[in-house]
Amino acid sequence: MRSRVIELTVNEEPREFLAPPGSTLLSALREQLGLTAAKRGCAQGTCGTCTVLLDGEPVMSCLVPVETVDGASVATLEGVQRPDGALDEVQAAFLEGFATQCGFCTSGMIMAAEALLASNPAPSRDDVVRAISGNVCRCTGYESIINAILDAAERRAAVTG
Amino acid sequence: MPVSVEVPETVEDVVGALGDDGAVVIAGGTQVMPRLNTEVTGIGTLVSLRRAGLGGITVDRDDATVGAATTLAQLGADDRLAFLRPVVESIASPSIRNLATVGGNLFVAQPYGDLAVALLALDAEADLAGAGAAARAVEDLVHDGPPAGGVVTAVRFAIPQTFRYVKAMRRRLNSGSIVTVAAALTVEDGTVTAARIALGGAGPAPPRAPSAGAARIGGPLDAERAEAAGRAALEDAEPFTDAYASAWYRGRVLPVHVRRALIGEAA
Repeated sequence: MRSRVIELTVNEEPREFLAPPGSTLLSALREQLGLTAAKRGCAQGTCGTCTVLLDGEPVMSCLVPVETVDGASVATLEGVQRPDGALDEVQAAFLEGFATQCGFCTSGMIMAAEALLASNPAPSRDDVVRAISGNVCRCTGYESIINAILDAAERRAAVTG
Repeated sequence: MPVSVEVPETVEDVVGALGDDGAVVIAGGTQVMPRLNTEVTGIGTLVSLRRAGLGGITVDRDDATVGAATTLAQLGADDRLAFLRPVVESIASPSIRNLATVGGNLFVAQPYGDLAVALLALDAEADLAGAGAAARAVEDLVHDGPPAGGVVTAVRFAIPQTFRYVKAMRRRLNSGSIVTVAAALTVEDGTVTAARIALGGAGPAPPRAPSAGAARIGGPLDAERAEAAGRAALEDAEPFTDAYASAWYRGRVLPVHVRRALIGEAA
């Protein structure tokens, strides 16, 4: 078995790398591309800390063999900040609302939130709860995370509205 | 152990690749990848369905055909099959539903696989390619497991006149089933003329509940007959103990949830 050349568009940049056989999208991001925001938690699709957007949809990157998504577009937390380095609305709301807590779930939570706000810019509290239902926070501080995502929606509406 | 990954572009090539030693089908990856990530599996080759053209939903009058690689998210978003939305939304989380497929759900171990429970109630059939490629009842596949050397390409079912679904969970979202009840009913002039009921959390594989269904037929959709069907469902069930609930508890709440499903009570 040989490594294979894989092409992905990662955070809007074309990237090409050698993927060892059977490697996951998560390990390709972390080990081949040096993008370590997505974390390896449970490796079973249960915790959500590896959440990235695959062709715009949130997925558990630990469950995706990278060779099956050659040519796809991937968005990670590293691509969320503004081009000038400023935090986007979701990041700012997490920071100011103390929604990061220990931080291990944060990148997955933010990517799940970005996917929600992209398709539903004015979510209800219940919409937010559903959107992050695959993301576990073992600090158990879900209220601050939910509040931050609702806050981010308002911040974004204020910017774009 | 490293595994090789094949991404065939036709169903024929999927079947061909399944001839390799230790080859298994991977669709969404939500069942295969947790094992590969955490266990010694003996899997040598993953044969992906991602590019094999097995996605998509067609609805012709009342007959629906859902490609095996259609994701649960795509199924849940299809307005023509909106009656299945409560089923889809009771399963896992959005980021799992964006990967997990309709075909894969047939082979999920209990107490997961709630779509399979719904498909049993719908009397769905599956189309297969490869070894033993005749169409088979979803009921047989759910009990026998994935076909060796073959692959499910689609499931087909008739859209029911009345469909009911209840799932009892430990949490409101993203949790395995304590008990799941799906019922496809035909009601004519206020009388139930056909009832197919299937259960989750009620056996090593989801069972049909013919006793409960029989108790419904020939009368109106009322609480008394729903109670009787709930009691009868226990005859078809083998409740089990796991981290979500004990067998005793499942047996206690199953009749309640059958009743709630049949008369459309909120859970």
